This record gives sequence, structure tokens and C-alpha cells, in this order.
Amino acid sequence: MATIAAPTQAGKPDAYSNTTGIWSWIATTDHKRIGTLYLWTALFFFLVGGLEAVIIRTQLMRPNMGFVSADTYNQLFTMHGTTMVFLAIMPLSAAFFNFLIPLQIGARDVAFPRLNAFSYWVYLLGGIFLTVPILFHVAPNGGWFGYAPLTSNQFSPGNNIDFWVIGLQVLGVSSLAAAFNFITTIINMRAPGMTLMRMPMFTWMSFVVQFLLILAFPPITVALVFLIMDRFFGTTFYAIAAGADPLLWQHLFWVFGHPEVYILILPAFGLVSEILPTFSKKPLFGYNVMVYSGIMIGFLGFGVWAHHMFAVGMGAVADTIFSMMTMLIAIPTGVKIFNWIATMWAGEIRFTVAMKFAIALIGMFTIGGISGVMHSSPPADLQQTDTYFIVAHFHYVLFGGSIMGILGGIYFYFPKMTGRFMDERLGNWHFWGTFVGMNLTFFPMHFSGLYGMPRRVYRYDAGQGWDLFNLMSTYGTYLIAVSTLFFVWNFVRSRTRGAVAGSDPWGAGTLEWSIPSPPPEYNFAQLPEVSSRYPLWDLKDPAKTAGIDHSHADAMTITDAHAVPVHEETERFTAKELGIPMPLPTAKPLFTAVGLMTMFSGLPFLRNDMFAVAMTLTIGGACMLIGGLYAWLTSPLE
Amino acid sequence: MPKLRLREAGPALLFMVVLLTLTACGDTVYPNTTFTQFTDLNTTILSLWDRLLFWGTIVFVVVEAALIITIIRYRKRPGGPAAKQIHGNALLEITWTAIPAIILVLIAVPTVKAIFETQAPAPAGALRVEVIGHQWWWEFRYPELGIVTANELYVPVGRTVSFEMTSKDVIHSFWFPAMGGKRDLMANRTNYMWYTPNADLGTQAWNGFCTEYCGESHANMRIRLYTVQPDEFESWAKHQASPAVFNPLAAAAVLAASNTALTRAVDSTAQPSAGYVFPAERLPAHVVPQTPIPAGLDYDDALLAQGDPTRGATQSFMLGGCIGCHAINGIPGAVSAIGPDLTHVASRHTIASGLFKFDGPTLARWIKNARHMKPGSIMNTIGRGEYDPIMKMTVTAGLDDRQIADVVAYLMSLK
Amino acid sequence: MASHAAAALHSASGADAGHQNGHEHHHYTTTGLDNRKIAIWAFLGSECMLFASLISTYLIYKGKSIVGPYPTTEWVNEAGKVFKPILDIPTTSASTAVLLMSSFAMVLALQAVQLKGKEIAATASWWERIQRSSQFWLAATAFLGATFLGFQAYEFTSFVHEGLTLKTNLFGSTFFTLTGFHGAHVTVGVLWLMSLLWIDRTRGLGPKDELVVDICALYWHFVDVVWIVIFTLVYLIS
Repeated sequence: MATIAAPTQAGKPDAYSNTTGIWSWIATTDHKRIGTLYLWTALFFFLVGGLEAVIIRTQLMRPNMGFVSADTYNQLFTMHGTTMVFLAIMPLSAAFFNFLIPLQIGARDVAFPRLNAFSYWVYLLGGIFLTVPILFHVAPNGGWFGYAPLTSNQFSPGNNIDFWVIGLQVLGVSSLAAAFNFITTIINMRAPGMTLMRMPMFTWMSFVVQFLLILAFPPITVALVFLIMDRFFGTTFYAIAAGADPLLWQHLFWVFGHPEVYILILPAFGLVSEILPTFSKKPLFGYNVMVYSGIMIGFLGFGVWAHHMFAVGMGAVADTIFSMMTMLIAIPTGVKIFNWIATMWAGEIRFTVAMKFAIALIGMFTIGGISGVMHSSPPADLQQTDTYFIVAHFHYVLFGGSIMGILGGIYFYFPKMTGRFMDERLGNWHFWGTFVGMNLTFFPMHFSGLYGMPRRVYRYDAGQGWDLFNLMSTYGTYLIAVSTLFFVWNFVRSRTRGAVAGSDPWGAGTLEWSIPSPPPEYNFAQLPEVSSRYPLWDLKDPAKTAGIDHSHADAMTITDAHAVPVHEETERFTAKELGIPMPLPTAKPLFTAVGLMTMFSGLPFLRNDMFAVAMTLTIGGACMLIGGLYAWLTSPLE
Repeated sequence: MPKLRLREAGPALLFMVVLLTLTACGDTVYPNTTFTQFTDLNTTILSLWDRLLFWGTIVFVVVEAALIITIIRYRKRPGGPAAKQIHGNALLEITWTAIPAIILVLIAVPTVKAIFETQAPAPAGALRVEVIGHQWWWEFRYPELGIVTANELYVPVGRTVSFEMTSKDVIHSFWFPAMGGKRDLMANRTNYMWYTPNADLGTQAWNGFCTEYCGESHANMRIRLYTVQPDEFESWAKHQASPAVFNPLAAAAVLAASNTALTRAVDSTAQPSAGYVFPAERLPAHVVPQTPIPAGLDYDDALLAQGDPTRGATQSFMLGGCIGCHAINGIPGAVSAIGPDLTHVASRHTIASGLFKFDGPTLARWIKNARHMKPGSIMNTIGRGEYDPIMKMTVTAGLDDRQIADVVAYLMSLK
Repeated sequence: MASHAAAALHSASGADAGHQNGHEHHHYTTTGLDNRKIAIWAFLGSECMLFASLISTYLIYKGKSIVGPYPTTEWVNEAGKVFKPILDIPTTSASTAVLLMSSFAMVLALQAVQLKGKEIAATASWWERIQRSSQFWLAATAFLGATFLGFQAYEFTSFVHEGLTLKTNLFGSTFFTLTGFHGAHVTVGVLWLMSLLWIDRTRGLGPKDELVVDICALYWHFVDVVWIVIFTLVYLIS
């Protein structure tokens, strides 16, 4: 009898596909490969956004520095925010959605594999469109929430904002397409017995996020359409001379923007909810409550957008309503924190790097949550909003929360993705550098903010009481940057040189750990039958899950499963050998995505009086888009 | 595992520093601190903040302590106890839902009270000040007193000041950290905020900032506030409401009549005593601008001594096209409100929205090439032969350095 | 033990047996519904938020325009000439009726596809016979949709002649964008219907294609419902 953690399969990077080489990636419809593409691309953009942060912090290191110009600085902070939100954290989450959801629910792929590929290619092209301008010093410079009327033609006449508004519009297409796909996948592709209340917490949180995406992206789509129309076709949505209301943009943006915050954090919550039980050797504490609180957070997330706007003068009644709603949302969030701690209580905690990141999330997110409650009180918020106190708050939430969770997720799932472990020693360097670095960077910002430093300033005078805090923040940023280099080295090197991991290297309980690492292209040779939340623990260690919702009949199924004659998997079969139909590789989604991007990229030329170029690109792109869609829809999937 | 303790001790230590600094902070160390009770508004805000910090600290300590205790106590040890398979506990979960809810109620009640209190209409007898945001400077109007000024605000202590805020272009936000919260300035909308500087505040100078990102020079859009005694304010207001001290038309008439060589028609020191101005020597260091003048902007300061205010007023000021944007009360035709009102510009301590000290050499460079000194500035580059970074061309018309000296002399006379 | 465990999870389920029988197009789904059906509902949910945002903007800007033309009130130009409100409610009522009828036709088109292949009595009336013609009803739906678009084109042109463009005022911007977005949705629907019609003519749509027609019908009804909301809020309530 083999031990539980024994490897069943040596790591073979391309084991889940018969083909290798660049074409196998361009034409892939395999959700795991698409997840891998997302991961690499998003990590690249994460480094770009980080580099921007390093330049920003260098400029702010001392009073009245001249490291970069005002305009460059404005481009940098705009792109830092835009990159981290839309090109790094969201797609890093998407990498996990892609890789994990089908594995966790026992499916062979997502509902629409080609749409999935399309989402990725649109993201990649949109990301390039948004990022490349900074090399030519024409990057967007209106801040990541691009308040109109500043972003209108009158006040931003250059191409800078064009790249932003078009880039975000295109990225929205990617996110929406992916969300429809995952909603369908989770509703409709669950393995037999995988009821909603047996889904792993990561899948649950992702499920909530997909609903946030499909409901939150339309308002920003509309806001961006208005801005595009204003900038290129002379409409008056944000034209103050025509009587436009400067609050229109803010409302439309934040109706999207606040759910977006939960879009960024919930996947990390989900990852942590997988990591903590595994390394505590205990099931998640209060699963039901964790699910309901996640749904509650998502639901309330649509009712709190105007807490970003307490300084705009909405009136006492509106301020009160949004303030109360905001305080309310702290309750389900707090429940999650306590349940995580209770998950570890009375466990056997193993401090792997993944676990350290997960624990750090609890500790750091709590700080962001507390400062969040501090600005839910509108009069107090009037002293905090648009200062460095806010910058500190949302970095504790997004770095201390999202990034910590995602990094933990990477260390945790790297063996599943590649068949090999990441190095724990380098990982420890990475963790401690990042942990100390982030606190050194962001904690002093609480003080610089409350001592009067506004955000988004590229210079400040000495003697304002901010010098020391800024210096600390800058050194902290350098520390994060250095430790990130450890991570990059570890990540790249471990793919081929890491220790071989088995199918279940951590002793986890969910379905994805029941199949080889990396998983075969078809994931499950036969669709699993699920009878509990931790099916693997049911089999290996029934005591662990004895108290969790399964009916007597379900328990019987497990026994039956044991009784089924088992053929030892000694070698890996291909989908073809097993007779499993898989989606055909195709580059049509890529072709269609290029069409979409080309179509939109014509617009900026209108401003530069290059009408012919604009028309050529737009019409050419539209033809590619339609042709690509036609070919796509009329060709068989598998 | 000592490492673990250290890890959680870091932020906890820093948090202690918050508490220490909060109690020990002096104005000199943190001159722009928001923890003041200098106005009724900020007293309300500070009492809310104290409550938020109190509960925030308790929650912080409880959660982080629970976390640290858990991970230390239940770390895997050889021979340690096996994990207990607990799946949930309804009572516990209800408890930690209810306790935060109660804390939030304790925060919510004073919050709502404060919202309605601070957003009530300003009390009768408040001093009205219209605040108008521009890219990137502040226009202040005292409608009851007939004053139009810019970037430096005078407010009497002990009297409620009611701000009526709007914008001519993008969104800005008006904020004096030591006085109270901020409010956004938006075109097509008017926002209101009022507060009363304490009667015992004394004659002091304060920093303020634009806190809504408003474009390239957002960081360069600063404000000064002078809280002054009521009699000082009255003197200041009376003078500010009067027409410009130096009237170039009268000066030109004198010139024409006397038919002599250009003479100094006005000696600023010989002027009848102007109104009250916040004394320069009482400006604390943190209120005095330190922005470095960018390299590559050369001006021979020796020329300034030769500047002639009359010539500046009658010729150079017109040649430079200054009245295209700037108003001077008393000068026919100088009524534009695109740039700051210059009627009593020499009574200010700063130029370019609090970015530079008001003095001859800085003013000369500013006139010569404002866009070089303040990125994106709407003020044209005036100096002949200067490169305009926005138009991306060298100015061929405009003023030479001598003419600029004249304009500077004229502006310096506008006490 | 590990492989034993893994294999247990791989135990065959009845639902999975389809693959072994070679019915490749009958994937197991949790709900038993086709994936596309779920996706279209998610899509329409998202579309609701899109139109909600557009309609809200129209309502927020209602009455905020500084210059005319105005939708439901008289307006005066610089020369002092008085103009009538620009919205032509009788004409738009007619186009609304046309769009509503198209929804009716869509229902019958779906029914005709479902009934395809069933025998029809020799004594059947012309109405019963025509009810069986999916091509007729698809064509009718597309035609009615196109007629609605014709009305809209007429309305837009006459507004432009009366001096209302995208750029004129807040009303022009919001009105054209909102109704234009809806018109674009109708256009997509008409093209979709015409594709179905083409498929029907070339290879015939039958009960097995019910889902494909059903999805199109869902979309079409959604677009109609949105128009009812727009018509009520923009045209009827002043």
C-alpha cells in the first residue's frame, strides 16, 4: 500500500498535450494551457506595474525630487493602478479560474473552450495596447478611475486617454466573455454529486465573482462608451459647457468600481480557503457561513459604491445610506476572518510558504479592513479621502489581501500545474521580504496621509512632516522589488528543476488533487462521482470529513466506489486512446481577437486627422472579427 | 518559533507608534496634521476618529492576537496532538457576527449625528466665501465684501466661514488638513462646507492642498490660509476691496504732462499705508514655498533694479498681453477672469498657487516662462526667445528681459 | 492506496457512459440543460445592467439640456422662433406595435420548428398550415424587426433635419446613444434571424434545432422588452 503523498506521476510539462511548440499554445483550447498563459502574462504585467511603482516611489523618496517629470509621474501612477487592477490581479485570478474551476468541479474543460481562448487573447492584446504607449511617453494620465471631465477632449486633448478608454473597453470584453463561460461551467459542468454546497470554496468565491463581473462591467462599459463618443464623435455626456454633470462618470464608474474591489479580493479569499484547511489538516470552519458571507459581500458590494464619493456633496441622506451599507459589509468580511482563524484552531499547522502567505493575508487584510471601516464614517472620511491614508488602506486590501492570497495560491498550485515544487528556501526569502517590505511601504502611508499628504502628488515640500514616512515607503518598495526577484527566479527555475511532486503533494482534500500533476488534457479519465466536500479525505482519512454534510446514501457511494475494481494507472493515456472527445485546437479565437483589437485601434487615428488609416483599421478589423466569428461558429468544436 | 512572533510584532509595534505619535505629535513636527480641534468641524471629526481608532485598535489586537496564538499553539510538532476535526460551531459564528455588528452600531450612531450636524446650513452671520477651482489655482471671492483674490485666503477667527465651491474646469478638492474635511469643486454644481476657526486660534498661517487629481500640475495646486484677528481682517478686507493702488492711466497722464524722461511715477514705499497683510516674518517655515526654480531658466536679476513700474504698466503689461487673462480693479479693460486677479497681487506671499515665494527674481522668471516653472500651466510663455514646452516652439514676440523687469516692478507696486 | 483512491474517484458514472457509446454531442451537464441556454441567460442578465445604465443616464440628464430641441416641451431657438417638442409619439407608437408583433411572430417561429415533421391533417385550414412554416415566421420576425429599424432610421433623419444631432445637447447625446444602442441590438437580432432563415432554407430546422431557435427567441424577446421600457420612459412619461 503506497503512502498517500507518494507521487503517481513524474512531472512532464507537456504531459497534457500531444503537441508541443508555439502553435500548440496559439491554437490551444485547453483550459489548463489557457490558465498557464494567463499566469505568465499576468505575472509579466505584475512586474511591469511593480517597476512603475519603484519609479514612483523613487520620485517620492525625498522632497521636491526631479527623478521624473510631472507628466511622466502622472502617467506612471495611472498605469500602475490600471496595470495592477486590470492587467495583473484580475488576470492572475483568471489564471486560477481557468486552471482550477474545471478541476475542482470534476469537469473536462470549461463550457466554451474556444470562448475561453478568445478571452485570453483579447486580454493579451488589450494589455499590450494599454501598456506599450508608456514606452513612447504617451501613456494614459488621467488616474486609474479617469474622472471626467478631466479625461474629456477639452482637458486631455492628446492620445493618452484614448489608449486608456479603448484599452479598458477591450479588456471588458475579455472579462465578460470569461464570466459567461465560468458561470455556465460552474452551473452546468459539475460532476455527478458535486452539489453547490459541496463545491470547493475557491470555486464558490469564483462563482460569486463571475456574477459581479457580468453585473458590474456593463455600467463601466456604458461610461466608457460615453467617453469614447465624447472624445471621437463630439457628444456632450461629459461636456461641462453643455451642462453635463461631473458626477455622471463617478456614479457609473463606482457602480462598477466597488464590486470590482470584491472581484479582486474574493478569488484570493477562495485560494486561502483552500490552503488553510490543507495545512491545518482540518476542514474549513463553518463552510456554509463562508459561502453565505461570500454571497453577502458580493450582494452588498453593489450598494456601497458612493462611499468613494463622500466628498462630492451628495447630501446628508445619501451619505448616511451609503455609510450604513458600507459598515454592514464589514460584518460578513469579519466572519470570514474569524472562520479562517477557527479553521486553524486545533489543527496541525504546517508552515509551508503557501501557508505563510495565507496567514499573512488574514493578518494584513484585517488592517485594511479596519481602516476601511474608518472611512465608512463620512465626516471622518472627509479627512482621509484622497490622502495617503487611502493609499495605505487599499494597498493593505489589495497587496495584503489579493496579492498575498494569489502568491500563496501560486506556491500551493504550482506542483499541480507543473508537476514540480517551488523551492521552499527561496520561497521563504520571497515571503519574508514581501511581508516586511509591504509593511514598511504601506504602514507609514497611514501617517503621511493623516498628517496631511494628498495622494497623486509628484512632489512635496520638505518640513511638512512627511519626509521620514516617504523615505520608509520607498525603502519598503525596494525590499518588495528585491524579494520579487527571488520569486521570479524560483518560479522560472522550479518549472524544470524543482522537486517532483505527486498528484497530491500537500495532502489536500479536493478533486483537483486526485488526478496526476500536471493533469492530463482530459483531466479525469472518468468523471468522478462526488459525495462530500473533501472527496479525497473521504477516501484517505474519513474521520476528517465525518461531520460534513453527506447523507447516508452518499456514504454508501464511497463504499461502493471502493468496491469498484480499480485498474492501477501505470502510464498516462491520451484522450484519443481513452476515446474522450476533446476540443480541437484552433487559432480562430486568436484571429477574432486580433480583429476586435484592430477594429478599436483605428479610433485614435481619428484624432490625428488620419481618417483613411482609421477607416482601414476599423473596417478591416470588423471584417476580421466577423469572418473569424463566422468561421468559429460554423466549425465543429471537437 | 520566534520568527512568527517577530512577524506579527512588526505591524503591532508600528501601531503602537501611531498611538504614541497621536498623543505626542506637535504642530512643528506634523504641521499639516488632521488631528486638531482648531475648528468646530474638526472637533466633531476628531471625536469620531477617536472612536474609530479605539474600536479599530481593539479589533486589531483581538484578531491579530487570536491569529498569533493560533498559529503558535497549533503548529505541527513531532508528537503533538492530531488535528481535531471541527467543522463549525453555530454559537461561535453567531457570536463573531454579533460583536462586530454591535461595534458598528456604536460607530454608526455618532456618525449619523455628525453627518447631519456638519451638513446643516451654515449659521446666520457666516462669512461667505466663493471658492472657484481652476487648473491649477484657486479663485476666492467674498461676495459681501466685493473682494476677488487668489490662492491666499484670509479668515477672521471666531467667525463661521461658509464656503460655496464650484469649478471652472475639471474637478478639484478644497482642503486645509488642520481646519477640517475636504469638499470637491465641480463645474455645474455648488458644494457647501462651513467651519468656525476657534476664537483663540491666533494669527497663524496654514497649508492647504488640492486633493482631487486635476491634471498635470495637480501637485502644484496649493493654498494658504491666514487665520487673523477680526480687526486685522477688517483692515485687509477694506484694502482688498479698493481699486489698485497704482493707476497707470493717471501715471501716464502725469508723464505726458510733465514731458520729462521716464520717472518713477510711483514709489511704492511712499504709498499711503496699505491694508493689513499677514506679516511675512510670522510665516512658519513649512508655509514658505521651497519649490526649486528649474534649471535652464536664466534671468539677470540685476535688471530688476532698473524696472520701471510706469513703463511696465503703460507699455509692457499691455505688450505682454497680460490683460487677456488677468483682471486689475481700476484698469479699464483688465477684467478677464481666466487667470488670478492681480489688483493687490503684491500683498500675497506666494505666486503660482503657493508654489513659489513672491519676490522679484521669481516673478521675473515666472513671467518669462511660466510653463517651465509649473508644468502644463495655462499661462503663456512670455519671454522672447524662450521655448514654450506646450506649444513646442520658441516665442518670437513677447517681452525681453528689460520689459519683464518693468512688469515686475509694476506688479510689485500693486500692494 | 493513492492510486486506489484516485481510481475510485474515476469510477464510471452512468452519465458519462455516453462517450463510450460514441454520442459525442451529448455531454453530461449538471442541470440537463444545454450550456448555451445557461450562457444566454447570463448574457441577458448582463444586458439588463447595460440598458439600465443607459436608461439611467437618459433620466439623469432629462431636462438638463441648455439648448433645444427638447423631447417633450416646446423650445425656442436663438432667433426667437418657437418649436414643438421633437418626439413624434404617434409614429413611434406604430413602430412599437410593429416590434411587439415581431415577438408574436417569433413565438410562432419557435413553435413551427418544434412541430416540424409532425403530420398535419389534410383538412387543415390555411392558418394551421402557415403555423407550420418556420421559414414564414422567421422571415416575418426579421421583416418586422427591419420595419422597426426603418421607423428608427426615419425618426433619426427627421430629428437631424429638425436640428437635433448627437452633438446638439445632452438630450441629443443621451437619446441617440440609448435608442441607437437598442437599434444596434435589433440589427444584430435581424441578422441572427436571417442566418436562421438561411439555415432553415438550406438544410431545414427541425425539433433537434429547437435550442438554437429558442436562444435567438430569448434574445429577441429581451430586446422587445427593453424597447417597451425605453418607449415608456423616454416617450410616454414627460
